[in-house]
Amino acid sequence: MLELRGLSRHFGGVKAIDGLDLEVRKGEIVGLIGPNGSGKSTTVNVIAGVFPPTAGKIVFEHQDLGSLPTHRRLQHGIARTFQNIRLFGQLSVWQNLWVAQNAPGERARRGFVARWLGGQTGVRAEIAELLEFSGLAHKQDELAANLAFGEQRRLELARALAARPKLLMLDEPAAGMNNEEIGQLRDRILKLRAHGITIVLIEHVMELVMGVTDRIAVLNFGQKIAEGTPAQIQADPLVRKAYLGGI
Amino acid sequence: MLDFIQAVSDGLLFGATYALIGIGFTLVFGVMHKLNLAYAAASVGAAYAGLLILPLSAGAPAWLVFLCAFLAGGVIGWLVYLTCFHFIPLSNPLAALMATVGMLLLIDEIIVHSTAGMPQNYPAMFDDVMLRAGEFTLRGDLLLVAGVSILCMIGLLALLYRTRLGLATRAVSQQAVAAQLCGIRVGRVNGTTFVITGLLGGIAGALIGASVGALSPLLTAPLTVKGLIVTVIGGLGSIPGAIIAGFLVGAFENVFQQFRGVTERDLYVMLLLFAFLIFRPSGLFRH
Amino acid sequence: MDFYYGLAQTMGIHTLLGLSAYIVLLTGQVTMAQAAFFAVGAYAAGMLTVLGGWPILPALGAGGVLGAATACAVGFPALRVKGLMLVVATLAFGEGVRLFFFNFDYQVAKGDIKVGPLGGEGFRQIRYFQENGWTTGEAMLFIWGFVVLAMAALWWFDRSRYGAVLRAVGEDELAAQSVGVNLTAVKVSAMTVGGAIAGIGGGLYAHYTTHIEHANFNVLLATFAIAYPIVGGLKNVFGTLAAVVFVQAFLIEGLRFLGDWRNLLFGALIVAAMNLRPYGFLGGRRA
Repeated sequence: MLELRGLSRHFGGVKAIDGLDLEVRKGEIVGLIGPNGSGKSTTVNVIAGVFPPTAGKIVFEHQDLGSLPTHRRLQHGIARTFQNIRLFGQLSVWQNLWVAQNAPGERARRGFVARWLGGQTGVRAEIAELLEFSGLAHKQDELAANLAFGEQRRLELARALAARPKLLMLDEPAAGMNNEEIGQLRDRILKLRAHGITIVLIEHVMELVMGVTDRIAVLNFGQKIAEGTPAQIQADPLVRKAYLGGI
Repeated sequence: MLDFIQAVSDGLLFGATYALIGIGFTLVFGVMHKLNLAYAAASVGAAYAGLLILPLSAGAPAWLVFLCAFLAGGVIGWLVYLTCFHFIPLSNPLAALMATVGMLLLIDEIIVHSTAGMPQNYPAMFDDVMLRAGEFTLRGDLLLVAGVSILCMIGLLALLYRTRLGLATRAVSQQAVAAQLCGIRVGRVNGTTFVITGLLGGIAGALIGASVGALSPLLTAPLTVKGLIVTVIGGLGSIPGAIIAGFLVGAFENVFQQFRGVTERDLYVMLLLFAFLIFRPSGLFRH
Repeated sequence: MDFYYGLAQTMGIHTLLGLSAYIVLLTGQVTMAQAAFFAVGAYAAGMLTVLGGWPILPALGAGGVLGAATACAVGFPALRVKGLMLVVATLAFGEGVRLFFFNFDYQVAKGDIKVGPLGGEGFRQIRYFQENGWTTGEAMLFIWGFVVLAMAALWWFDRSRYGAVLRAVGEDELAAQSVGVNLTAVKVSAMTVGGAIAGIGGGLYAHYTTHIEHANFNVLLATFAIAYPIVGGLKNVFGTLAAVVFVQAFLIEGLRFLGDWRNLLFGALIVAAMNLRPYGFLGGRRA
């Protein structure tokens, strides 16, 4: 579904991504791990269209994404969450999800005037579904900035799902969570895969990565140093040296 | 051709004052990431304040008036800091911006009231001196203007790059929170930045008054716009940028005035700004 | 009674000016160009009724359309300019438009006198209301009809998805893009709507005051335009209305007895308001 071919992204002299080849098949959950600064977030940013690649190609569903802008990539089915939560703090939970109602079928389904100037009735069902999934239905009118940290993370995830993406990139979704929350996150990710969403997961929390992914790619200094199943990665001496630590 | 060179040279010399105004805007933006729209008005106000010495000591020499304007600029700069930046929460740049606009209007009105709107004569130095090279002249007073401006710029750069205060200022401009955690009093640094830019503005205002020969409240709006244009062309936050852009705008403006007259001149300066905004929005030097 | 009608007329026109800035400010674009769109509407509507003999409604409509078109044209290059640079760019644009009208002559002979804009002299004899027997009260109601319409439209936007999207863009452009919002479309559309409202307001202004000139559409007016929504708060349209009433009623008329000093007070009052209530009278942030 997603193919990175020789992808590079330089910032001046810094090679954040350096000749990265990666393939993500439909329905997989692929983990992307590595030390800080290894290029994980930059990879997500480049796939999402925030930065253009310095070299190489990104092919999504057999189509070269080229210089397609971010909001159009969303229309093609690529969604992402942010490492530092970027909610619309001054809008309510409901409104955050409302703004994100940009799924490809929407335009055809509802018409311009209704989509933009219509009231809340038309999208109640879709948003209710998202609220249900993230367990935030009881807080739908609360300002996003007033939510607890865990609730904000759940809202961020729900918002990314609003446009019914085919590929969802999660950037360190477990940061700052306790074990119980990590367990819930794991269940939610598996539920999403069951719904047919392909997932790329950037994480440092190893128990989550090892427990939920089908395959893992390990980055260091912008390059892929290893790829394989969680078991294979755990056993790989290069990976242990660079990142996991200890033999 | 000679006319052109003359226009460029006069413009460059006068442009030194625009450079100072541009530095004032850009330094505050670089350190606090806020725009002080009252700056040009404060500079003109300081120049007026310099005149206050005249009734006190009859026949005071021009340089004394300049010195008073210089010092008054520092005081006014500090006042602007207090009223617009010290108490207003940093997270609300709009409120600070509006407050500076309020100060701009306030200073303007104070000037109009104390002078009944009449232009005031401003003393000049070396205005009778002319250096000639054939048909080409260099006005003595303009040379002084450029000279003093350049001295001030050198002084500022020395302050920023050779003193502890300058180091602290640069630290705050890059990472205010981290600077605070290192023990730097951010409020003090910000206030001092305003005083320093105020001093620069005071001397700029005085020099403008000296080269034009008179001060009028009508100076504030065009000077604000021009100062902002210089800042944008030079690159917001870049002092070398503001310096070069100041000279550039001064020369440009004078050449257009020479060949197309005063009314169209400002339109062309505007076009220069738009050209930069379209082709090089980050200005000459990125911050 | 006529005096109060006149005051209400001024308030209505200024409310339209403020509302035109309100919608643009929601998207995070600080615009000093609203006075320019206001000017375009004023001259256009005036010329259509005076020179073209058009009735008032189509003339105002044309003023609105031209204001919108100008705003749309400005909206696209404005996308390339971030944050405070946009303030400078729009300020310069506003000045450019003012200078354009300063140089704009278009006179037509009507009977034995010439009517139409005449450069620095301005555009006199915009007497549609007078010639058609409108009373001050009727004109006031007419103006407020448009104010109510504009407020209703913006209130509706605020409660619709468009309003939420506008505010999302104003808060975090990167996040908005990532959930599929087309930034260009949203920001330019907001600018265009603002331009339309300003254009209609300008057209009404020209007919209310019967004589317009370039100096009316200066930096001060551009400042009023953004001051109203900022001082009133961006929570809803009533904030802007409250700010207009406060400024116009209390400052300009209620303090009339202060004579010349009320202009001084305006600047001081903005500074005080921003220090005491940085998020506006009715607030814009609740968290």
